[in-house]
Amino acid sequence: MTAALSLAGICRSFGPVQVLGDVDIALAPGRVHALIGENGAGKSTTMKIMSGYLAPTRGTVSLNGEPVIFAGSQDAEGRGVVLIHQEFNLADQLTVEQNIFLGHEKRRGPFLDKAAMQAESRALLERLNCRVSPRATVRDISNADKQMVEIAKALSREARVLIMDEPTAVLTEREAEVLFEQVERLKAEGVAVLFTSHKLDEVARISDDLTILRDGRVVSQGLTAGFDQDGMAEAMVGRDVSSLYPERRGAIGPGTALEVRGLTVPGHATDVSFSLRKGEILGLSGLIGSGRTETMEGLVGLRSATGEVRIGGKPVSLKSPKQAQAAGLCYLTEDRKSRGLLLDKGMRENLTLQCLPQFTDWLIDTAAEEAALTKAIAEFDIRAPSRGVAVGNLSGGNQQKLLIAKVMLADPDTVIIDEPTRGIDIGTKQQIYEFIHALARAGKSIIVISSEMQEVIGLADRILVMRTGRIAGEVSGVEMTEDRIVRLAMGLGARREEAA
Amino acid sequence: MTFDKITGATGAFALTALLAAPALAQDTRVIGVSIPAATHGWAGGMNFHAQEAIDRLEEVYPELDFVLATASDPGKQVNDIEDMVATRDIAALVVLPFESEPLTGPVKAVADSGTWVTVVDRGLAQEGIEDLYVAGDNTGFGRVSGEYMVSALPEGGKIVALRGIPTTIDNERVAGFEAAIEGSGIEIIDMEHGNWNRDDSFTVMQDFLSKHGEIDAVWASDDDMAIGVLAALEQSGRDDVQFVLGGAGMKEMIGRVRDGDTMIPADVTYPPAMIATAIELTAIGLTSTAPVSGTFTIGSVLITQENAEEYYYPDSPF
Amino acid sequence: MTATTGTTRRPRPGIDLHVLGPILALLVLVIVGASLNSNFLSAANITNVLSRSAFIGIIAVGMTFVITSGGLDLSVGSMAAFIAGLMILVMNGLLPTMGPGWPLVFVGMLTAIVAGTAAGFVNGFLITSMRIEAFIVTLGTMGIYRSLVTWLADGGTLSLDFGMRAVIRPIYFEGLLGISWPILVFALVAIVGEIVMRRAAFGRHAAAVGSNDQVARYSSVNVNRVRMLTYVFLGILVGVATIMYVPRLGSASSSTGVLWELEAIAAVIIGGTMLKGGFGRVWGTVIGVLILSLIDNILNLTDGVSPYLNGAIQGVIIVLAVILQRERKAEG
Repeated sequence: MTAALSLAGICRSFGPVQVLGDVDIALAPGRVHALIGENGAGKSTTMKIMSGYLAPTRGTVSLNGEPVIFAGSQDAEGRGVVLIHQEFNLADQLTVEQNIFLGHEKRRGPFLDKAAMQAESRALLERLNCRVSPRATVRDISNADKQMVEIAKALSREARVLIMDEPTAVLTEREAEVLFEQVERLKAEGVAVLFTSHKLDEVARISDDLTILRDGRVVSQGLTAGFDQDGMAEAMVGRDVSSLYPERRGAIGPGTALEVRGLTVPGHATDVSFSLRKGEILGLSGLIGSGRTETMEGLVGLRSATGEVRIGGKPVSLKSPKQAQAAGLCYLTEDRKSRGLLLDKGMRENLTLQCLPQFTDWLIDTAAEEAALTKAIAEFDIRAPSRGVAVGNLSGGNQQKLLIAKVMLADPDTVIIDEPTRGIDIGTKQQIYEFIHALARAGKSIIVISSEMQEVIGLADRILVMRTGRIAGEVSGVEMTEDRIVRLAMGLGARREEAA
Repeated sequence: MTFDKITGATGAFALTALLAAPALAQDTRVIGVSIPAATHGWAGGMNFHAQEAIDRLEEVYPELDFVLATASDPGKQVNDIEDMVATRDIAALVVLPFESEPLTGPVKAVADSGTWVTVVDRGLAQEGIEDLYVAGDNTGFGRVSGEYMVSALPEGGKIVALRGIPTTIDNERVAGFEAAIEGSGIEIIDMEHGNWNRDDSFTVMQDFLSKHGEIDAVWASDDDMAIGVLAALEQSGRDDVQFVLGGAGMKEMIGRVRDGDTMIPADVTYPPAMIATAIELTAIGLTSTAPVSGTFTIGSVLITQENAEEYYYPDSPF
Repeated sequence: MTATTGTTRRPRPGIDLHVLGPILALLVLVIVGASLNSNFLSAANITNVLSRSAFIGIIAVGMTFVITSGGLDLSVGSMAAFIAGLMILVMNGLLPTMGPGWPLVFVGMLTAIVAGTAAGFVNGFLITSMRIEAFIVTLGTMGIYRSLVTWLADGGTLSLDFGMRAVIRPIYFEGLLGISWPILVFALVAIVGEIVMRRAAFGRHAAAVGSNDQVARYSSVNVNRVRMLTYVFLGILVGVATIMYVPRLGSASSSTGVLWELEAIAAVIIGGTMLKGGFGRVWGTVIGVLILSLIDNILNLTDGVSPYLNGAIQGVIIVLAVILQRERKAEG
């Protein structure tokens, strides 16, 4: 069978740096191909070459067996090769239908043929089993729906090759399930699919073929069925990663670090109460939209909230993150790119932003800042091409490490970490888990919010599950199983739509 | 150009004027007055005299009502005039056009509908539209200034000139001035736009002083610009410049002429009060049988120490 | 994400056009000026150019902070006119009781600073607390201040009493060690501004807010306070500029300070501060102001260019100065 799209001997350099060397990949129609590797292994570059965003320095791209040179991503899309970016490429202010047809609107004479576009959007979305209205504004729909709109957009261009960059990174497990169903359907229609993911269980489940990249080279390739997850991880990292979650050591202290009573964040959370002990890691689970993030933002004063908060037994009123920080409570955002870091600034400016007064007498002591950066780079193993690099050019994992370093600079007693490892490769994940444990051992109290069930179970001593803005339940010890958490998150006795 | 941000207050004022008193007695007749906003000293004086004339005439002629609108650009002025016709049913329009060309069509439309039209200062681009033209004499203003320059520098000499905002008015004045000094031995060694603005003329004069080692006199062509020129001269400490000739008749300058200031030995009038003449003549035209149509030219007069007292209006802001 | 995607950033302090662009443009102007007229480099001409740059310059330093933090202030020109008018009225009003002299000058100065602070506070309050776009707020206050000064002056000109003028004149025309006061004050404001921008927490916070206000908020920065302060500082600096301005001609009218806001914004952008915020440099702004004043000065000192074209030449040079900085992005 001829490959729908294949790369042969592809090399790509940026200046003197070679990021891809002799990569061969063939995507077959009606098959799903997974491309995995650590951050910086060359996955993005490979996908961009496949979809015409980048030209290879050397090597051949073939479409249906014929060598082809894409003039650009538009050209590639015109030939049925579509890339769906990890950060959605949708115009937030426009409607679903406008987005689907953006750039290739249907016309009748000089006018837009709205009726035809709406009808076709509806048909495409139905085909994907997606219930979002073509007239909804993209800003208002969920991430899962956005993903579907991206796919609908690709289908409207009659994609024969669909390339997805970490499609499940921002989806909950249930949303991911819906996506996989659609992938199966596309596969049945003969579309060649390539996707990347850091979630190896997903890879094992839905892909037929597998390519593993490390340092810009293919280290392993073959039928997915021929790999187990440990084997995949080892090939990616080049070392043994069987123990992803560190052994829990160090005792939970006797004292209560934080006590929350009746916390209400209007519109997002109602009557949330919990307490946290010194040195404890508390997991916070729940579906996306259950109010996990908003509750914690309310707690640290980023949102208006009511309720009673005690830190170290003393009642406190936290109206701003600054007050929370002063009281020893810091929140580490889930959204490192638009809320965590200044992407156009260097590491030093980012590191000290939250604690600038520490470095300022009359003027900022840049030498002290540099020293703090040196320490943070060593302590959190931040790998950057140079100290002056703009943070936006760091890989996701290194950004996350920098973000943790930044918050820890404030030396909080209690830290809330929202989605600590989203979009991060497995090697870095392991490091971040290690940091979190080290913090707990040092007597800090930690709240971890995560959509990855395994992560919460692996890290936490105790897990709170939220559902529609309320604490639905608490599990600890042997009760901490995916099944138990899912049942709490879905609401017990809910059988309406949940067969899973 | 002075793009002025004045629209706010004056616009609001015009609006209130337009909206006020909609229910007038049937036989009250309305005179609309449309003038440029007070973007520089002369226009400020003109605004003052317009307002003063209106206040006075409303007392004298109870059967007349006035509506005043000031515009910061020609487009706004056209809107003002259209609003006056549409909402106040004006019997007469007194207009000082911001610019001739853009206002010609709209004013002609008003005239064609049978409304009395008085044009002030700046003529329209097409002749015969207006019933009455109260004209300032810009060529004459330049000529009188030039003639004074010739008499004050009988031996000839080197002078620099500051021009106003690039407009027809400015061109006519400069042409009149140049014609008057022709053959007299007076040479204009440099000329730049000071935009009828004190700050701009100060800067231009500073640079003239850097550039030219010897300047006998300055034709500032406007009293606002003369103030800037004087400040620059004072700063430089130069004594080669014998005098500065402004123009328009600002009270502060006329005061200095009257007091015998050697730097300001004379001034040339271009009275902003001509707007009052126009409004008053229009009022007479509407209320009596005295003929007032035609052209009424207000000449530019040379003010020297002898006659300065007659032209000194202490109450005017200009 | 691989580290190789995304735009390649410039290496840190090295030699590049982004830094050199404005300096280069300034140098070219100086060379052109010197070759066209021998008086160009005379002490008197340099003093003239620097002193007259001072008003816009002092304001532009404040504007640099506002723009760096992602804001904009269109009201500064009108604000200057209004403050100048107010300062003159206060001094004229108190003249009979206080008599001409330095105490009255200080009262005038205090008036300017207080009025500037209040005006900046009003802009800042409307923008931060009422959450109205800076463009709209300052467009509104621009009209308000312009009208107020016209109203205060009855459409004409407010003139400082002649006796007072003699007392206050030295503030513009005299100085220390042969350097005039406006130049000294401008230099002081610029140096302090540069240090605050680069080395003080406030400058860092302003850049952070302009770069991404959400990140700043999540990093415990009081975003509203930073924004408010940029407008208040700008207001104070407008007051300072007015203190320098009033002694020059001793008058204020509705034509005072017209288009200063655009000149100040142009100077800031020519200097390399990003209009969308996030990065600002005060020294660049100073260069930008000097470029703008030099263009005018050179055009006045030369013959052969129609004065009608002054605006066009200015426009071309502004655009060129900005293109010079952009070049680096195209080259990567």
